[in-house]
Amino acid sequence: MAELVLDGVTKYFDDDGDRIVAVDDASIDIEDGEFLVLVGPSGCGKSTTLRMIAGLETVSEGELRLNDTVINDRAPAERDVAMVFQSYALYPHMTVRENMAFGLEESTEMDDDDIDERVSETAAMMGIEDLLDRKPRELSGGQQQRVALGRAIVRDPEVFLMDEPLSNLDAKLRSTMRTELQRLQEDLGVTTVYVTHDQTEAMTMGDRIAILNDGRLQQVATPLDAYHEPANEFVAGFLGEPSMNFFDASVEDGSLVTDQFTYPLSEGTLADLDGASEARLGVRPEDIELVEEPVDEHDYAVTVDVVEPLGDENNVYLEFDADGDDGDGRTFTAVVDGTHPVAAGDELGARIPESAIHVFDADTGVALHNRDRDSDEQVVPQ
Amino acid sequence: MNYDARRLGLYGVLGALVVFYLVPLEIGLVTSLKANPLATLPFAPPTPEGFTLSEWTRAFGALQSGLVNSLLLAVPATIFSALLGSMAAYGLTSLDWRGQVGLFTLFLAGIFIPYQAVLLPVSRFWAVYAPLEEWLSVLWLLPVLEEYHGELLTLVITHVAYGIPICTLLFRSYYKELSTEMVEAAKLDGATAYTIYRRVILPLSVPMFAVTLIYQFTQVWNDLLFALIIMGPGEGAPVTVGLTNLGSSLSDPGFAVKMAGAFIAALPTMIVYVVFGEQFAEGVAT
Repeated sequence: MAELVLDGVTKYFDDDGDRIVAVDDASIDIEDGEFLVLVGPSGCGKSTTLRMIAGLETVSEGELRLNDTVINDRAPAERDVAMVFQSYALYPHMTVRENMAFGLEESTEMDDDDIDERVSETAAMMGIEDLLDRKPRELSGGQQQRVALGRAIVRDPEVFLMDEPLSNLDAKLRSTMRTELQRLQEDLGVTTVYVTHDQTEAMTMGDRIAILNDGRLQQVATPLDAYHEPANEFVAGFLGEPSMNFFDASVEDGSLVTDQFTYPLSEGTLADLDGASEARLGVRPEDIELVEEPVDEHDYAVTVDVVEPLGDENNVYLEFDADGDDGDGRTFTAVVDGTHPVAAGDELGARIPESAIHVFDADTGVALHNRDRDSDEQVVPQ
Repeated sequence: MNYDARRLGLYGVLGALVVFYLVPLEIGLVTSLKANPLATLPFAPPTPEGFTLSEWTRAFGALQSGLVNSLLLAVPATIFSALLGSMAAYGLTSLDWRGQVGLFTLFLAGIFIPYQAVLLPVSRFWAVYAPLEEWLSVLWLLPVLEEYHGELLTLVITHVAYGIPICTLLFRSYYKELSTEMVEAAKLDGATAYTIYRRVILPLSVPMFAVTLIYQFTQVWNDLLFALIIMGPGEGAPVTVGLTNLGSSLSDPGFAVKMAGAFIAALPTMIVYVVFGEQFAEGVAT
């Protein structure tokens, strides 16, 4: 049983008298057995947060609690956490067996036979029992990764901390390991905090994801909630690939008016806007439908600029006809099925269904209106 | 054509360098084997009737005790300065605490203090403030141990102290390259600062130990200045001191015996190079 609570955790560094805030007032309750992913762009403070939990960085303000005990001042070794590093950080002069036994030897009173047994068991579970007598440099990247995981698992800690553990693997191996890691974590039921900048990992692995930007926690939610009901413009733009299209708009006569088009809003959506006069309209590329020509009030005449075929789907970059030839080249993206015939230069209609739009406050970026969730089945067009 | 000319030039220069480096050795070697070095040209080999090994035996006899003293001096001085330098570097690099940069600067400054500047203070220090021979006088009653071992001990400590800064610098540059994540992993694994050093850092330092051992051994073995000033010629004098006194008489310049002695005195450093050479190359490359 391990419940980890971050309560207003803050970290600042002193840089010649200047205070640089790395993590600002982050509060997250991580439940027992939960897989929490900390995600955000580089420099957002996610690694610092993890290192504070590990005890490798001091906590400037706030409290870290493990099972209701404050652990701010506990040494890393006394927190009962195990960490998997991006570089794996294996001990190069030790065999795999010694690498895995090291933590048990240093942190427990177990005798050698028990340690050996536990190492063998874990190695069997990880499928690395054949590698036990090899040195790390004789292993491939994927094998080293497994050893690093095994070294954490063998300790049987209260909390796993993982700092971008898959980022040094090639794409194929990464997706295999992603699934395997998830399965392992589910089987072991150990509370896990996982740091990544990769939104695919965040979306697929986390029970919940915590999105950070500039040291500030943006949203903590299940992956689907964060995706469909982002708390703000940053979360909306960060999750999803290609990312959400945004349009600056003013609210006039019940419509969103942009430089290129006018988007009539229903009563319900208008009510969510709460009288704001400036807003940002957001719509995910996969929610934009391409029609032969604009007929509906939410259809707009566009020209296809570039098509990126990915096989299963096409990323289509569109230009509004309203921009004319002297448009500043601003395009927006739609994702259509890979079999949908579309080529650069095609003149089409882009349909932006009202059920799929997001509206954000122009100044704060806070979400005023999120898409309808009842229409989830329409998320993937065609 | 042009290519050939360049090759020729290259080999010419290389050949000249080889001659430049080897001629003194060759002259030294043939001189040491001549009964009368002045009878033939310096670099000519000894004639069959003028050949003798007696100068080597004479030199070895004279330097025997000096060789033993030098070993007693150089081996512990080398090992301790390397070990302490490694520990200091670990403390200054892999551990995090306030003021370590300032302290490291002091270590760095230690490298640049010339021998000559500390000669008198150091010899006064040992003679007046820390007369080890007197303090440890009980020990000299034990078998094997002699009073001059006390002098050697002062010399060992002096060399260790003098060697620590450069060893620290060498180890520090090496430790900076080691993965910090690895040290952090060990910390999370429950290892203390000391066990991290003993079980992780120290085993990884072998190549750097080869470098410092060779460097320090050569330094200490070849040192004459400290040996001469701090202990002077006597029972405990290392081989370098013995070498300066070798074959000095008014009647005979003693060229042959001096050359033989020089070779004998240089032999141990060469052995150290050969033994640690491979790790040395590895350590220098990192």
